[in-house]
Parts: sequence; C-alpha cells; structure tokens
Amino acid sequence: MTATVTRTVPTRPTAARSGAVWMTLRLAGTELRLLGREKSVIVGLVGFPLITVLVLAGVFGQGPDPDFGGVSPDDHYLVGYIGVVLASLGVATIPVHLATHRELGVLRRYRAAGLSARVVVAAQVLLGAVLGTVAASVVLLVGSLVYGLPAPEDPLGALGWYLAGLACFVALGVALGSLARTGRSAAALGNLVFIPMFLLGGGGPPRAVMSSTMQTISDVLPLSHVVGGLRQAWLGTTDDPHVLWWPVVVAAVAVALAVRSGRRRPS
Amino acid sequence: MCPAPVRAHDAAMATKTITDRDDAPDTTAGPVVSVRGLEKRYGGTTVLDGVSFAVEEGELFGLLGTNGAGKTTTVEILQGLRRSDGGRVRVLGLDPATAGDRLRRRIGAQLQDAALPERMRVGEALRFFASLHPAPRPLDELAGEWQLEKLWRRPFSALSGGERQRLFVALALVGRPRLVFLDELTQNLDPVGRRRTWDVVRRVRDGGTTVVLVTHDVEEAERLCDRIVVLDRGRVVAEGTPTSIVRALGGTATVTFTDGDLDVRSLRGLPGVDRVDRHGAVVEVTGTGPVLAHVGAHLVAVDRPADDLAVRLPSLEDRFVALTQEVPA
Repeated sequence: MTATVTRTVPTRPTAARSGAVWMTLRLAGTELRLLGREKSVIVGLVGFPLITVLVLAGVFGQGPDPDFGGVSPDDHYLVGYIGVVLASLGVATIPVHLATHRELGVLRRYRAAGLSARVVVAAQVLLGAVLGTVAASVVLLVGSLVYGLPAPEDPLGALGWYLAGLACFVALGVALGSLARTGRSAAALGNLVFIPMFLLGGGGPPRAVMSSTMQTISDVLPLSHVVGGLRQAWLGTTDDPHVLWWPVVVAAVAVALAVRSGRRRPS
Repeated sequence: MCPAPVRAHDAAMATKTITDRDDAPDTTAGPVVSVRGLEKRYGGTTVLDGVSFAVEEGELFGLLGTNGAGKTTTVEILQGLRRSDGGRVRVLGLDPATAGDRLRRRIGAQLQDAALPERMRVGEALRFFASLHPAPRPLDELAGEWQLEKLWRRPFSALSGGERQRLFVALALVGRPRLVFLDELTQNLDPVGRRRTWDVVRRVRDGGTTVVLVTHDVEEAERLCDRIVVLDRGRVVAEGTPTSIVRALGGTATVTFTDGDLDVRSLRGLPGVDRVDRHGAVVEVTGTGPVLAHVGAHLVAVDRPADDLAVRLPSLEDRFVALTQEVPA
C-alpha cells in the first residue's frame, strides 16, 4: 500500500559517515586510544605471560626434552604462550572491559547514538585483534631476544593458527562480556574459564605428564588446539591436539551469542 | 547562530512527493512522534497501560510525572532502546522496534542513566559522536553553548554531575537532530545552570528542533513546554498546554488583603465568592471566576481600597499533585 507524503530533509547521511565499517573503525580507534591509557590492562596483557614464560623457561631449561615432544621447554612454552596471551586477552580482559561499559551505561550511550550491537561487537573484535597482535608480538620479541626462539617451520601454518586463535578468543571474550552483567561478574567468569584453560590447555604442564582425565578435558579446550596447532606449525611437534575447525566453530558460536545478547539486552 | 524555525507548513512549500513505505524515514505527513495504546509490563507489573499521545513538528513537548510514572520507559521505547508489549509507536515515520539503529542516528538523546568511558576526554567525546553524523554542529560553537571549552581535555571521570549533564546534552545536539529527547535534563544542575539550560532548550526549539522533555519538575514543564502529557502509574491523566491543564482543574482563586475594620459579611454576596475568612487583619476570600475583580471593585465602592490586594491562582503544581494523588478507579 502506498500513500503520498512529503519529504523535507535529506533522508540518509552520507555513506562515509553512516556506514557500519566507518562506525566500527571509529569506535575501535577511540576505544583503543582509551585502553592505551589503562596501565593495568597493558601490564596484565603483556606482563603476565612474559613473567610466566620467563619463569617456566627458566625452570625447565633449554635442552631438548622428550616430555616436550623432543624440543626445548623454552621453545615449547614461548610458542604456546602466543596462544595463551590471546586467551588471556579474550577471556580475562575483553569481558571485563565490555561488562564494565554496560554496567556504567557506556553501551547505552553508544546505542543511543545509533551504534548497532553489530558495530559494537565488531569494534570489540577489532580492538581485541589489535591488542592480541601487540601482546603476541611482545612475547615473540622477548622470546627471540632472550631465548633465541627459532623461526617457524611452517610460517603460513603458524599464521593460520594464530588467526584462528585470535578469532576464537576475541569472539569468546566479547560473548562473555555480553553475558556478564557487571565488570566484577565478568572478572569472576573470566577467571573461572581462563585458569583451568590456561593450566590444561598449554600454559601449564606438558600433555605427556597429565593424567588421562586431564588429557580428556584438555582435548575439548579450544586453547589446547590453538597452542597445539602453533607448536605443530612452528616446532613440528604433534603431541598436543590441533583440530583447526574447533576454535573456528567456537568463534562462530561466540559471535552469534554476542550479537544475540547485544540485541536482546541493548543497555 | 541557530537557523530560523522550520515549521511543517513552511517545509511543505518546498517538498517533493515520494512513495511512502512502512520504513520511509523523515516524513512530515503526521506527527513527529505518534504513540497509541502503548503497553509495557515488567514481570507481573504493568508500567505502561494504554499510553497515547502525539508530538507535532517544532513542539517543545513535556512528559511529566512522578518517579516511577513510566516516563523513562516511554522514551526508551520511543528510541528503540526497550521493547513494548503492545500498542503502536512511530517516530519520524519509523517503527523504533524494527528500525531502532536508523532512527537513533536521526534523533538526539540525553539519557538519564548513561555514561562515557571514564578516560574519554570531553573533546574526544564531542569529536567521536560528531564523526557519526553527516553534518555535525561546529564543535567550538557547541562547546561554547554548553560551557565545555574549559573542560575540553578533562576526562569523563573527573566531571561533576552538572558538567556531565551539559556534555550529554551537547552530544544529543551534535548531529543537528530533527527530534531530541531530554530525560531529566536539569537533574544535578544548580539554579543558575538550570535557568541557563532552560534558555538553551528554548533556543533549540526555536531553531526548529522538536524537543521531548522528560521531567518530574513541574516548574520546568510549566516554564518550558508548549504542551504536556502527565503520566501517573503508567497512564495519561492529563494532556494539554500548562494553562489548559490548570484551567481543567476548575480550582479556586484565593484573594487576600489587609483590612482590620472591614465588615467581611459584605463580601459574601459578591459573584463567585464561596467563602470569606479573617485571620486577624488579613482577609481571605476564596471563589471562582473573576473573584479578584469583584472583590477589588467592592473595596473601591466602599472606599476601602487595599494596597496589598493579591490573588493566588491554582498552579500546574497544584493540578499535578491533585492528579497524581488520585487513586485510580
């Protein structure tokens, strides 16, 4: 059915200003600048994995070890910690950031300005990608300078696993942040997920020394697969599980959950 | 400064015909906001019960009610920030429930419970939200209007309540919206800031922007609004101009003057007088209609003109209190 009406003002903003991509970039850029002022985030993101990897590499030594798939423990942990920093970012940092935004009413302000749930989620994903890349780069840099980490045997494979891990954990973080009501609950939820995943998913003892129950749990953790894939592509070890589709599926489910949650609970 | 007001009939002089679809935006074929039979329940509690009203282009429209009357829920539904449980809502020709994001990019909103990231500076906030609009207001002009120039580099966490409020209003106006929602606008402002804000709101309306003002402050509604809807427990209990709502009260006027010697019995027979009381030298005459004129004329006629003759008419506040204290049937 049609009716004659009158139009008095331009109906659409210019594409450059109203496009979802533009808004996503603007929001991610702004949030990145603000996070750069949060010293606790930077210290937690880079400091935690660096200190842990330095301690573990120092404890287990630098010679080849059969419990570590025949490679040196420092290489084993350094490569694995690329995955760990992504998990730390995704599960422990992003949810708190996002839930705090909701708790304070920041998301509400964004929504009132016409930023859709999709744009907010995409900006968080982009933000996570940048932060994850920075944190992983720091680990690699320190690994190369301090422990002489070798170049990856399969650089493209390593890149693929890195991207899969990034997608998986950033999406998981956004989903957890969308579900948590407050920053405090997000922190509790994040720790609840991160600590067992860290210990059994590649950040703790090598798989060879785990009990069978621990190995079974480890097999379903996406971090185990990301870390396992990185080690396989970088060092050629195949002890850890490394099924590429698993972190990708987790990422897809997490994004769907985040968008759904954002639509259902906009403020 | 602000552009000249754009009224519906002026705008219609230079328009073109288009085909209307359900989601066709920015049309002037009807009210800017149209609400019919709006319902909202939280659990078993009904917070909006058949609310209906319309806001016309260029109006400064007030949604007045006590805390918990359903004002904020109503405007959140109008902005698509909350779903209704029934009724029909159109804002700028759009259904907020299905076109919320598009709608929100075309309106301005100052929300009651909202914040910015704590480390975001005032200037950054203005720049960021301006960048989301195709033709934003010049930021220096906006900052000057809302006294934000000196706060330009101050983070949000360091702003006082009043400063935050001014920033939010500036953000609501940065995109030159055709319609702006202001929710409890002068909350946290001191009396000077409050009056300054009222002046700017009038200027916003005079610039052609339709304003929906949500308030529990009767004085604010009375001073600012062209038209008011009074909400009470989720229902519209009065609608009209502040004057018409007061008139509908049918309330009495009270005339007072000082005369210790006047025989007040002579006043009881005057037209419209219901009651005469004396409190010492002060005489209080209560009645309806032009009772002041009759009392004044009588005092002149008996050669006892009072130099402190005063009248107190029923106010919007009286009407508001009466309306919101009535027990619904």
